[in-house]
Amino acid sequence: MTRNSGWNTLLVAVVMALMLAACGNGDGADGGDEREITVGVSADFAENQIVAEMYAQVLENAGYTVSRQLDLGTREVSQAALGRGEIDVVPEYLASLLLYLDPDAEAGSDADENAERVREALEGEGAVLLEPSQANDTNAIVVTRQTADRLNLTNVSDLAPVAGDLTFGGPPECPERPFCIPGLRETYDVTFGEFRALDSGGPVTVAALEGGEIDVALMFSTSSVIPSRGFVMLEDDRGLQAAENITPLVRSEVLNDEVEELLNAVSARLTTENITGLNARVEIDREEPADVARDFLESEGLL
Amino acid sequence: MGVIAEAAAWLSDPQNWSGTSGIPNRLFEHVQISGMTVLAAAMAAVPLGLLIGHTGKGRFLVVSLSNAGRAIPSFAILALALPITIRMGLGLGFWPTFIALFVLAVPPILTNTYVGVAGVDRDVVEAARGMGMGGGQILRRLELRLAAPLIMAGLRTASTEVVATATLAALVAWGGLGRYIIDGFAVRDNARILGGAILVAVLAIATDLFMGRVERLVRPRTASSGLETA
Repeated sequence: MTRNSGWNTLLVAVVMALMLAACGNGDGADGGDEREITVGVSADFAENQIVAEMYAQVLENAGYTVSRQLDLGTREVSQAALGRGEIDVVPEYLASLLLYLDPDAEAGSDADENAERVREALEGEGAVLLEPSQANDTNAIVVTRQTADRLNLTNVSDLAPVAGDLTFGGPPECPERPFCIPGLRETYDVTFGEFRALDSGGPVTVAALEGGEIDVALMFSTSSVIPSRGFVMLEDDRGLQAAENITPLVRSEVLNDEVEELLNAVSARLTTENITGLNARVEIDREEPADVARDFLESEGLL
Repeated sequence: MGVIAEAAAWLSDPQNWSGTSGIPNRLFEHVQISGMTVLAAAMAAVPLGLLIGHTGKGRFLVVSLSNAGRAIPSFAILALALPITIRMGLGLGFWPTFIALFVLAVPPILTNTYVGVAGVDRDVVEAARGMGMGGGQILRRLELRLAAPLIMAGLRTASTEVVATATLAALVAWGGLGRYIIDGFAVRDNARILGGAILVAVLAIATDLFMGRVERLVRPRTASSGLETA
């Protein structure tokens, strides 16, 4: 052999070895240590990361080796990762998960019903939905304190007689979504005088609501902006909004009684109110999700 | 290829050509805000550019400021302007977008005007002064005429950039062609997104061609136009 072909052979061997190693790593936890768990997220915002950290920390506390994948941007990405075994545990939202698994499903305002339908959709998929928490991050109809006092508003149904004089601000898809304008009309007989397309409960919406450019806004029920700006969330008294309770989704292969008990214990302590408070610490006070999660777990006696 | 066919179908659907959300109205809104912004920017930038170019004073400061304005993304200016316009009672929609587009349009107009005037051959200016023309006359009858093509080029650049960027208005609850892109994105209607993008692109190109025509009209018909070659 010439000197060149000797180096070539070595190069080929190295490349092949690297490729085999890369292929092998793709299998994740399969065949590995059963005490190894990877916790992921189902969406790209603080709340999801906080709850994911809670799951991770209680599992670590029980002796599992936990790795975290907290920057999976969307449900498509996290579900794919779950399917490939790259993540094992993920905090999910009932109605959104249900509609992702089965776009034709009925996602209503009852958490247990939604959970049942999710479990049906998950049959044979290798993942298990645990118990839903009381923390429901769904759409919220929000007004300022002044508007609520002026028009005597507590429930969404209180809007029906006055909506025609009010301007509503929501995400651009509002006119086409059942949870928004069509649903408000059909379920609550609420038809607003004007609609303005903004960002889904983001800074433009907040500025518009505070500045009086809109009277009523669509936001998310666990958004820290609502308590921090003194906004009032109107009660969804006729159950228009789907139940989006935060619930752990776990890969069957890593699920055992201990894991189930640990994660359900976290869910049992979460409420819409307290998760909103935790969101505030991350979104407004700029604390780290891991620290906020730890404080919560310690104060609830879970760590 | 599928989404292009869908976009073509969306563009040819008669429903999309009528009403407030129809293409004619959105086109009108788009042209309205673009035109008003470029006009306002021209009214501010051309006189200022003429003054700087003619007197040679204030050049560094003003041009630096204007270039800084060019560097800041319009989206950021929109976000910054919004709380201010709301507090001032000017609201969402038109005014914050106007501010962002104004900041975008001024630099090319200002720079081109100043360079156009300053670039007039000094010998020609001296000759005019020798003929007894005063400063104001030199500016109006000589410098402005000779700088006109460059000024027009600046207006052309500004117009095309503004038309392309006026899509931002849809982010703050206004109309214009950006509505199709933003709303399409929100409901995941790729046909609408692409259709809107095509309309904006066509409008921007048409604007550029139109302004190019006007630019040619103001070109002075002299053998040597008295401008120093750059």
